[in-house]
Amino acid sequence: MSPHEKYDVFIGLEIHIHLKTDSKMFCSCRAHYGDDPNTNVCPVCLGYPGTLPQANEKALELGYLVARALKCTTSGKTSFARKNYFYPDMPKNYQISQFEDPVGVSGTMEADLGTSGVRAIRIHDVHLEEDAGKMIHAGDVSLLDFNRAGYPLLEIVTEPDLRSGEETEAFLREFQRLVRYLGVSDGNMDEGSMKCDANISINRKGKGLGTKVELKNMNSPRFVRLALNHEVERQAAVLESGGTLVQETRLWNENRDITESMRRKEAADDYRYFPEPDMPPFVPGEGFMKRVEAALVELPLARKHRLAGEYSLTAEQAEFIHDEAETADFFEASVKAGGSPRNIAAWLSSDVRKLLNQRDTNLADSSLSASRLAALLGLIDNGVISGKIAKKVLEKVFDEDRDPEAIVEEEGLAQISNPDELAAIVETVLAEHSGVADAVRDGDMKQRGWLMGQVMRASDGKAAPELSGRILDEKLGL
Amino acid sequence: MPAEIKDWAGVLKDPDLKNKYVEAVRNNDGEVGAFLSFDADDPQGRDIPEGRLSGIPVAVKDNIAVRGRPLTCGSRILADLTAPYTATAVGRLEAEGARVVGKTNLDEFGMGSSNENSALQATVNPWNHDRVPGGSSGGSAAAVASGSVPLALGSDTGGSVRQPASFCGVYGLKPTYGVISRYGLTAYASSLDVVGCISSDIGLLESAFHAMAARDERDQSSVDLQPAGESGKRVMMLRVEDGVLDPEVALSYESAAESLRALGYAVEQADLPSLNLVVPAYYTIATAEASANLARYNGIRYGHAPAFSENPVELMRQARHEGFGDEVKLRILLGTYVLRSGFQDQYYGRAQKIRTLIRKELAGVFRQHDFILMPTFPTQAFGRGDAGMDDYRQRLADVFTCLSNLTGTPALAVPTAPAAGLPTGVQLLAPAFAEDRLFGIAREIAGDFPVMLPEGALDIRSLS
Repeated sequence: MSPHEKYDVFIGLEIHIHLKTDSKMFCSCRAHYGDDPNTNVCPVCLGYPGTLPQANEKALELGYLVARALKCTTSGKTSFARKNYFYPDMPKNYQISQFEDPVGVSGTMEADLGTSGVRAIRIHDVHLEEDAGKMIHAGDVSLLDFNRAGYPLLEIVTEPDLRSGEETEAFLREFQRLVRYLGVSDGNMDEGSMKCDANISINRKGKGLGTKVELKNMNSPRFVRLALNHEVERQAAVLESGGTLVQETRLWNENRDITESMRRKEAADDYRYFPEPDMPPFVPGEGFMKRVEAALVELPLARKHRLAGEYSLTAEQAEFIHDEAETADFFEASVKAGGSPRNIAAWLSSDVRKLLNQRDTNLADSSLSASRLAALLGLIDNGVISGKIAKKVLEKVFDEDRDPEAIVEEEGLAQISNPDELAAIVETVLAEHSGVADAVRDGDMKQRGWLMGQVMRASDGKAAPELSGRILDEKLGL
Repeated sequence: MPAEIKDWAGVLKDPDLKNKYVEAVRNNDGEVGAFLSFDADDPQGRDIPEGRLSGIPVAVKDNIAVRGRPLTCGSRILADLTAPYTATAVGRLEAEGARVVGKTNLDEFGMGSSNENSALQATVNPWNHDRVPGGSSGGSAAAVASGSVPLALGSDTGGSVRQPASFCGVYGLKPTYGVISRYGLTAYASSLDVVGCISSDIGLLESAFHAMAARDERDQSSVDLQPAGESGKRVMMLRVEDGVLDPEVALSYESAAESLRALGYAVEQADLPSLNLVVPAYYTIATAEASANLARYNGIRYGHAPAFSENPVELMRQARHEGFGDEVKLRILLGTYVLRSGFQDQYYGRAQKIRTLIRKELAGVFRQHDFILMPTFPTQAFGRGDAGMDDYRQRLADVFTCLSNLTGTPALAVPTAPAAGLPTGVQLLAPAFAEDRLFGIAREIAGDFPVMLPEGALDIRSLS
């Protein structure tokens, strides 16, 4: 029996995203990955005596943007607070975060949670804070890199509205799409630009929240699913055997596919929050809020539904097209340029995607444009080229940065659709392979396809397939 | 009469004079111990620009950053730290041609009122070497009073500029909160800290203040100086119960009031009902903020670290155990205590409410009066070591100075006539941004109480 039949499961998330800003949250150091250790640092982000934080307005803007997109009540006066705890990679040994007036509270995010359908998950709050440095243990020494210290982070806290690992994975993928659509974060869990901790409790049906366990160290939405599902099973087994659950923090061990206890939490951590005296509250002005509103875009879920409805796409096509805003934009531009929506969707999800992958590029950087794709598909629709030739042309568009019409024209790739010309080609083929032709006439229909192949070969693939087929049949007396 | 600005202007520009000056300060400061480091050469080798402070040597309290110079904060934990940048206040003085010549002693991280909490050095009162110079900016006050510099920067969180200025017989200004950038001032209690200045010359004090006063992008709590309005001559004199002040201090307090009356001021005695709440509120807020501000010193990125530790957490613990003095540890513990969750309403939150109450009370006073006259400290400079004042009484005695830190308003310690071989002084308070009002009244009262330096003080005029 699945634990879900007997128990209610409550899952809430704390999601951290690195905001895409040029500089850090409270100083002008570069916010950039992959540089040599301790090169993007200054007295402020190293916590030298006497330095003071200067809030990055761009980060505030992105914070408000996410809060708006998550339908939060945004703060008319947002303030920072000090969260006090000691950690070797934290330069000030307090983190500047938000406590009393975060940028947004009480929002919701709609997500397509798969089998359980579309649901609105409640958002407790959205707040800004700074990241810490990175500590690496190498043998008997510990090394610290403070490049990441002071990196702007946005934390999104949900209410415990998710019910399973599957739902949570789907929610996280929806959330990743959302932050990418908004352009506020890369949202990559494996690269560390997005992190997700989960809290989970289970209880007998109808009994409300159970004992909360926090899960950490899950570096992909898939691991979040696995960890949560493992935890549901584990907690149910404890309860089934008459045991009790303890409030604790557990780590996902991705090598063993289990969660392991890190520390018990008898009492809540005391971070001794108090208002950050170095920064007065931030009051977003009219211009600031205008910029935020202007940056709001159609969110991915809404777009998926609209794409599916407006262009009659299949569920799979809509799923693929909307996944990245770039693809969806390209799709809609191609439709506008005159292509048929379903053909465009089909080409984007197969041949175009394959070429992008092979050439390790993306739509924006490739030489394929929406008008070129529409033109290419137009050539097929008008019978100028076959689908097979079109694939060749597409490759040439990618590699030679030329328009499809020019390629077809200059390289003589247009189909042969003149019946006399085709008849001549068919006759030549039949003459060369008279034995096979006779066999077909005697009823060996399997060989008919082979003859058709010879026709295509003799025409360098340019013979209009349908017309040549009819002529071939005629000549074979079929 | 102490030397004036014009007497000082050439001292760093003429190489011969500069050498004589350096030599003289070394001799002069030997016993006083005002400087933790002294070097009249600019570590950055820059020329001195023309400006209203061109060529003026300045001493800077060693909790304010000056690039290329030490930044010890009077603590073992930062004994070897060199500042990698310059505080905005210092930068602005330098832009007007002033040059830092040394860093002065202080109570560790500004915590104390005697300079006896410095972990690095003892500083004595230039008037009487058995007495303390006051604190925490005791080194800066002693450097000015002993004639080594005409101007020094200090910091004032609860009286740390005004009390030592008073103990040493010189002017000490605690400006309006935020008017001088705190960028580069090592934080003790961020919402109370201000950079202040100490001088033997009111004109120089005024010039230095105006050179520094302006909003700074690097300090988001900073503001531009704003018009303070016309000033009349109404002075509220704080009524002080008998026995609270030492006799010499009480006498000087009375004589200052007399002097003001003679100058045409209407001096009216009154109480500040919330004054008895000032010290508890001050220590609650100050220690709470200090507990977070001092958390950064952990021996990892800079500062004292133990020779060996088993792991990073042990390293931090040991660095702090070895690096901080007792008073600092005490205040960190207190601050951590008052910020505990569940107790914030009782302590930190309550202190903030008291602060609001006191602010309102003072705003009320300033609707009726243009100034408040009150003592700076109940005693003259007290004795060093065991002959001194116990810690508890020192804290209670902060009552007159803490007030302006809680309210964010400006206050000026003004010297009055020395008595029994030691300086006396009073304090004048004004509404926010009314520093000019304070300079004005100080100039007037100086007719009755000219600034004096102790016997043996360096006279720069004698070098040329």
